[in-house]
This record gives sequence, structure tokens and C-alpha cells, in this order.
Amino acid sequence: MRRPRSLWARLLLLSLLATAAALAAAGWAIGGVLERFATRGLDDRLDAQLMLLAGAVRPDGSLGANALRVLPGFDAGAGWSWRVVGADGRVWRAGPVADLGKVPSPARPLPGGSGPGGSGPGDVRVDGPARPRPLEGRDDAGRRVHGRALTVLTPAGPVRIAAAAPRALAEQPIRAAMAPLLMSLLLLGVALTAAALVQLRLGLRPLRDLRLALARVRAGEADRVPGDQPTELAPLAAELNALLAENAAGLARARGHVANLAHGLKTPLAALIARLDEPGADPDGSLHEQARRIDARVRHHLGRARTAAGGTPARRTVPIALPADDLIGVLARIHADRPVRAAVDLPDLSVAVDAEDLSEMLGNLLDNAWRHARTVVRLGAATDGAFAIVAVEDDGPGLSPAAAAEALRPGRRLDERGDGHGFGLPIVRELAELSGGALYLDRSDLGGLRARLRLPLSPGRTAPPAVR
Amino acid sequence: MRVLVVEDDAALAEALARALRAERFAVDVARDGVDGHHLGATERYDAAVLDLGLPGRDGASVLAAWRTEGRTLPVLILTARDAWSDKVAGFKAGADDYLTKPFRTEELVMRLRALVRRAAGHAAARVACGPLCYDVALGSFELDGLPLRLTGLEWRVLTQLMLRREVMVERADLIERVYEGDADVDSNSVEVIVGRLRRKIGSAMIETVRGHGYRLTAGR
Repeated sequence: MRRPRSLWARLLLLSLLATAAALAAAGWAIGGVLERFATRGLDDRLDAQLMLLAGAVRPDGSLGANALRVLPGFDAGAGWSWRVVGADGRVWRAGPVADLGKVPSPARPLPGGSGPGGSGPGDVRVDGPARPRPLEGRDDAGRRVHGRALTVLTPAGPVRIAAAAPRALAEQPIRAAMAPLLMSLLLLGVALTAAALVQLRLGLRPLRDLRLALARVRAGEADRVPGDQPTELAPLAAELNALLAENAAGLARARGHVANLAHGLKTPLAALIARLDEPGADPDGSLHEQARRIDARVRHHLGRARTAAGGTPARRTVPIALPADDLIGVLARIHADRPVRAAVDLPDLSVAVDAEDLSEMLGNLLDNAWRHARTVVRLGAATDGAFAIVAVEDDGPGLSPAAAAEALRPGRRLDERGDGHGFGLPIVRELAELSGGALYLDRSDLGGLRARLRLPLSPGRTAPPAVR
Repeated sequence: MRVLVVEDDAALAEALARALRAERFAVDVARDGVDGHHLGATERYDAAVLDLGLPGRDGASVLAAWRTEGRTLPVLILTARDAWSDKVAGFKAGADDYLTKPFRTEELVMRLRALVRRAAGHAAARVACGPLCYDVALGSFELDGLPLRLTGLEWRVLTQLMLRREVMVERADLIERVYEGDADVDSNSVEVIVGRLRRKIGSAMIETVRGHGYRLTAGR
């Protein structure tokens, strides 16, 4: 049989087996005790009869006729019987079915055999341990009988005495007691099983709670599982937390490696381009083209590495206004010589996005808008169900639908001039999708491009006015 | 115009210095954060180009140290770190501009000239003084609408005077902002250069404030 895969089923099965074994043992033991009690009552009466008969044995090995008469109504009950075999082989017996011929002889040879032995003549003495031996057998009618046998030694030889009663007399009370006994054992079994079920449910609850806690970590709602676990689960929780911490550290290392790689590749590339910019170094521009392609590949793969490293942990609640204010300040300085002003109208909205990712998305969109705007960049936000819609608009030339689709293709850059900031639209889209959102490009009523970011609102935020 | 370049990569630092000198800047190069900080804190520069990942001392800490020491020179951060959060952090640390590697030399030069112009308080991209006009983006001078040919030293002296037109520029300040750190400076050389400039733009435009310095004036 295959072992059950469920811990619950395994524990339940074990508990059921143990309960069944304990109940069976209890039933067997209680039955045995009952039987001994019932048999002992029978034995007492049979032994009394044996003692009476033994007292009637005369020294010559015969049974005194007078003694027979003083016996109580031993034969009154059906199936009761006795038999005495004298030293000379004469047989006395009583009872409706008095033939005890089927009663087995004592297995043990009589001590001293039929010899005179050490006892004085004229004595009648009870053999060995003065205890009657039990006998089991069937009478002439084939009914099972229970008997007792005693051997009495006389100077003439051993006299064997046996008495028997129907076995049924002992079994009846047992049978009568068995039904209520089994019923109570059954009830006990049911109660124990129910207790086991409750115990399993309560006992396994911390496991379920731990699983739910881990699910919350995976969903980004927590960064570790609670440490206050039952003694048996505390090491597991500690291991899980250590694993999570290691994961986070590995992620940070990976991001660090990416940054190092960026530095390692970009600095020599910068030196190369600076050399190519020297007069006469690259007359037809073909070397610049190669350097630009290297740069594009590096940026593309670093962007991918960054998006791949993002998303997973550390998803937090970030107010949109937080990075937006910083970015607008920075862009106003980067584009200090462009007469562009920012029109910002942000409601108090928070999104469930990694802070770094949000800053990257908004930075790229705002930079793009600043680059193309004539006079104004507009930043606004509204809610749409469980999502925030962040709109970045400019009054520049805008993009045709075909050009907008092209701009979102990875590895493309519509604006080939400048220092490369305009590269970011595909990365913005990738980051938005990783965060469970999206990026849409269309035309703004200002005349230029409108980029709309759809990002999941952080849970528990009330919804301000809907999209206009 | 004298610029400090703090960059640890030898090839890039060399190429940068060459490119900036070709654009007539005086250039000092520091190859680690400690030297860079020391030069920026003790010498007079019109601008600094600062890498962030530096041996010895991180660029961000160098910048923060300059700012707490009250050094207001315009700083352009030049780094491979192109995340927006890095840029925000750079500006918050006191940077005036931010350029990511790799970059085009002309872009860097234009941004440096613009930084220096804004630091001198000029919002427009062209600065004029009488018949003399300075196009900051191109770094070129025109006199009465005609291009003015200048040597490197002449250009440096004239931009200093131009950006502080109608204001006296101290001689010592001029010397510091015109010569590179390791140059042999002849005490008379500034007079020689000013003399040559007067011959090119008219002697009335540069007044001598005896014992102190010079002033560029439209002669009103």
C-alpha cells in the first residue's frame, strides 16, 4: 500500500490504527476477566461437590453409599454430573447424563502410581497440590461441558473423582455482557477518532498559517515570515527567513554586479568615443556608429537585467508624488536652458510598485517629455478601479500611432541624438508590465505625446476622483 | 576657463583632458577621490567633472565634502550609473548637472560652458558687452558680428572678463583660472595676454584697475 501523501491522512491513519489496537486489546482483556469471573462461580460449586465426594471415599477405595445420600441436589440442573472411579475400577455416577467417559484422564501420571506410597494405611489423602484440575470436554449428548477432577489416594489405590457442568452456564453471562461492552468500546472508538480529528485540525493549523505567511511574502506584502512560531516550526520559520534574507542579499549582489558591469563597460566605451571625437579620428563616422551600437546593446541588456532583478521583492507602497517631485527638480536642472515649465497636478495616490522602478519609469517618461516639449510638461494622475493612471504629456510634435508602436520596441531609439536618455520607453513598458501595469502612448490635447502609465494602487487607499 | 576632471580611468581621463584642451579649457586631472577633493578644495576652478566610482574616496562623498566646505564651483557628475534614483541622489548631493557614460565630447563641452555661464548668473545662451558677443554653446566670440580668432590663453582670459563684464576681475583670480595647476606662470604673462586682447578688441574695452585687476566694459 502506498503511504498517504498527506500529513493529515498519515496522522489520522496512525491514530486510527492505535485506537483500534487499544480497543481490541481492551475488549480481549475485559472479556478474559469476565470469563474468569463466570467460570470461577461454576468452579466453586463443582469443587464443593468434589470435596463432598472426596469425603465419602472410604479407605478401601470405594464410595460410601451413605455419603451419596447426603449430597445436595447436585443433579437438579440439567447437564450437571459427577463420576467417581474407585480403586478397583468400580464406577459411581450421578446426573441426567452422568457418563463422563469423555472426560480426559489427567495428563499427569498419578504420583506414586498405584503403589502403597509413604502414607500410612487407612488414610485417605488428597493428591499433590490439593487442587482440583480443570477439565474441558463434551458429554454424551455432545454438549460442551466444563468439569473439575481430583484424584484421592487410598491405601487400596487412587480414586478418581470428576464433576462437570454445562459449559453454557459459564458462557451465558459473558455473552450477555459482551453486547454492552462492545457498544461502549465502539462509542469510545468514535469519541477517540473525533478527538483525533479535532487535534489534527488544531495541531496542523500553525502549518497552514506558516504557508499563508509565506504566500504573503511571495505576494510582496511582507518580507519575512513571523518568527513567533510553535517550537517545532520555529526552526523552519528561521530557515525560511534566512533563505529569504539570502535571496534578498543575492538580488542586491546581482544588482551590484550589474552596476559594476555597467561601470566596467561604459567607462572604456566613453574613452573610446572621446578618442573618436578627436579631429580626424573617425572621418566617415563609421566607428562612431559601431560605438553607438555597442552602447545600445549595453544599455539594452543592463536595462533588462535591471527589470529582471526588480519586480520580485520589496514591492512597497510608494506615493507617486515622492519620486515625481525629485525628478522634476532634477530635470529642470538637466534641461536648465530649455524654457519648459512643469504643470504638476498629483492627487495623493500611492502605488504598489518598487520605489526604484517607479522612479525609473517616471524619470524616463518625464525626460522624454522635457526633451520634446516646447513650453510645458504636464504630469497628472487619477484612479481607474484598482489602478492609478499617471499621465505625462508635452506640447511637442508628438508621435504618429506607427511611430509610437515603433518607440515601444525594445532596442529602438527614435531620438538618436542627445546623451541617450531617450532610450527608455521600452524599459518603461517592461517595468510597468512587471509591476502588473501597462504603458499607453497617444496624443495629448496639448498637441504632443501623452504617455499613460497604468499601475496597481496600493491596497487600502481610498479612491479620489476618477479619470477625466 | 579652468576645469577639474576627477576620473580614475586613465584612458578616459586622458581623452577627456585632450578634448577639453582642444576646446581651450585649462584642465587639471585627478585620478582618485582624495586628490580630487584636495584640488577642488584648494584651487580655483570654473567647473569640475566628477566621476562617482572613484578609488580612495567616492565621488558623492567628495561632492558632499566640497559643499559642506562652502565650495560652490559647478559640478558635473559623469558616471556609468544611469538610474534615475542615482541622478536624483547626485543632484541632492549638490551636483549641478549629470551626464552618463558614454557621452559625446561636444555634449560635455556644451554642458560645461553652460554650467559656467549659469554659475556666473547669465540666463541667456549669448552674453554681450558692447560690440563683443560670446556664444556660450559654441564657445566663440564675435566682434561687430565677425568671428574673433583667439588663442587658448586669450580665450580663457576673455571668457573670464566677459562672464563678469563691467566687474573688476582680480589679477590673482585671473591667473588661477587661466593656467593649469602645473604650468609655469610668469607674473607678467597676464599683462601680455591682456595687451594682445586689447589689440584685437580695442584697448578701451579692457580697463586696468591698477594694482588689482581688469574690467571688461562696453565703455558707458
